Amino acid sequence: MPLIELKNIEKYVLQDINLTVYDKEILVLAGPNGSGKTTLLNIIAGLIKYKGDVLFDGRNINSLPTHKRGVGYLLQDLTLFPHMNVWSNIAYGLKVQSYPQEKIEKRVEELLEALHIKKLKDKYPDSLSGGEKQRVAIARAIAPFQKVLLLDEPTSSLDAQTAKYFRIELKALLKRFEITSIIVMHDLLGAEEIADRIAILNKGRIDQISTPEEILFHPNSEKVSEFVGMPNIIRCDRCKVLSTGLIEVTTGDLTIILPYEGTKISRIAISPHDIYISDTEPPGPTLNRFKGTITEIMPFRSLMRLKVDVRGIEFLTELSKEAFDEMELSVGKEVFVIIKLRRLRYAE
Amino acid sequence: MTFKRISILLSFTVFILYGGLILSLFYFYNGQLFLETIKSERTLFSLRLSLVTATIATIASLIIAIPSAYALSRFHFIGQSLIDTILELPIIISPVALGATVLIFFNNPFGIFLQEKGVQFMFTVYGILLAQFITTLGIAIRLIKAAMDEIPHRYEEVARTLGATPAKAFFTITMPLCKKGVLAASFLTWAKALGEFGATITIAGSMAMKTETIPIAIYMRLANADIEGTVVLVFILIFIGLGILYGVRMLTKKSIPY
Repeated sequence: MPLIELKNIEKYVLQDINLTVYDKEILVLAGPNGSGKTTLLNIIAGLIKYKGDVLFDGRNINSLPTHKRGVGYLLQDLTLFPHMNVWSNIAYGLKVQSYPQEKIEKRVEELLEALHIKKLKDKYPDSLSGGEKQRVAIARAIAPFQKVLLLDEPTSSLDAQTAKYFRIELKALLKRFEITSIIVMHDLLGAEEIADRIAILNKGRIDQISTPEEILFHPNSEKVSEFVGMPNIIRCDRCKVLSTGLIEVTTGDLTIILPYEGTKISRIAISPHDIYISDTEPPGPTLNRFKGTITEIMPFRSLMRLKVDVRGIEFLTELSKEAFDEMELSVGKEVFVIIKLRRLRYAE
Repeated sequence: MTFKRISILLSFTVFILYGGLILSLFYFYNGQLFLETIKSERTLFSLRLSLVTATIATIASLIIAIPSAYALSRFHFIGQSLIDTILELPIIISPVALGATVLIFFNNPFGIFLQEKGVQFMFTVYGILLAQFITTLGIAIRLIKAAMDEIPHRYEEVARTLGATPAKAFFTITMPLCKKGVLAASFLTWAKALGEFGATITIAGSMAMKTETIPIAIYMRLANADIEGTVVLVFILIFIGLGILYGVRMLTKKSIPY
């Protein structure tokens, strides 16, 4: 059932945006800088004026001011109120909406528990770490029983490892509290982990909106493909589990060893920058190392993109101009192709 | 001599200038007369009048200055830059000129009508209040706006997404966050009102035991060549002024929690 509907929205760079977000869905808005992602969140929150219609549960809310929209908003810079401790920050929305004290206390305690921040309740924001602030800000945003939560780059202030765990936790939390969420993210890898659907926004227009798998394996345009990193999509003919954590995938004459997470694999997406090229045979194990022939060379921004034919399968690869010049690569030259394992993505 | 040394030396010159002037007052200091002057009915009246009028004028200024500063700090509207510019008027125009403007206003038909049907400002305590109010309002707005500019408006936006009306967001977020700045601005406004002379003497005159504030009393004693009496009153003003400055300094210290 649609919960949020945007119809013909126009503002700044945004042009004729039509978007439906379903009840309890997690939608990630991804796209390059300046594509209008944050503007779209501000429109839904009612923080800026706009052209077009915003509907919640089929009801037009254009004339509703921000404080009556019931939309939680987690800003990129979190903006915890510095003059209030953690408990008061979380309770703020409930207090200003005049909830009874008993209900306020119960709700705050529930969120302190759910976000594992009970021990922080008396602390002030300036004494919290980035991750702790993030948790407090989320608790505060959903405290007044908001049905919709907007999150602007929620993991931008976290290191890669913390961000990964945080995304898993955030997804579980949003599903537990049944909150419809729109999350702005730059990191497509992170978006895939958390999103039910991803909308790719580019120069103020939605280029594609579908499941993460669909976006990655079936980008509907060159622009989307470019944004998702022009992955090489490899079809899998046969799979053989080698041991716990490893699987051997055969495609044509090629056999690749991959980390195995217990899922059936039908396709693999390999990003061009996850494929190394070498003009000499590299030392070390021969795992996922193949000989191929360069078929095409294309300059791409500050990089060089090469197409390499490996036993009838074409791989798109990326390398720096310096490395390209140093190896004196040219069309027809034989090279070694080495596939990095850790960033492979699969489709069931 | 390095640039650093020159600048430090110049900063000491400022201290020597003001410190030297204050120190020079002791040349005419008379302990016995000091107590007598302070205890005199006329001085106590002037002191009381100055403190009361400065406090009322400051409160009146703040009532208008806080919402005006908020509007100037947060919104964009037609005439904003005009208002912003005119705030400097009490700084660029001499207080006497400002007082003269008020005097002339009350002599036009509308001003006369206002005085006849409303409050009599000329040569009354209300005139002192008006003089202090018009000379401090612009400065109060400027100082409070500066304090509010320091608070990112994103805090209010977050408060509104949590269900706070714009007014609630103002009272629960913006005001507590800039309260130190507003308090400091209030103190400085009060000190400015307390020391106001030019506009006050123009509008309210210099009637002893009626409209004689401390600055006017200083002027009157000086006019009568009563140097020792003048010194006593100057000391009173300096004492209050330094107390205010110290208070402001303490308030604006970063280490003080909200």
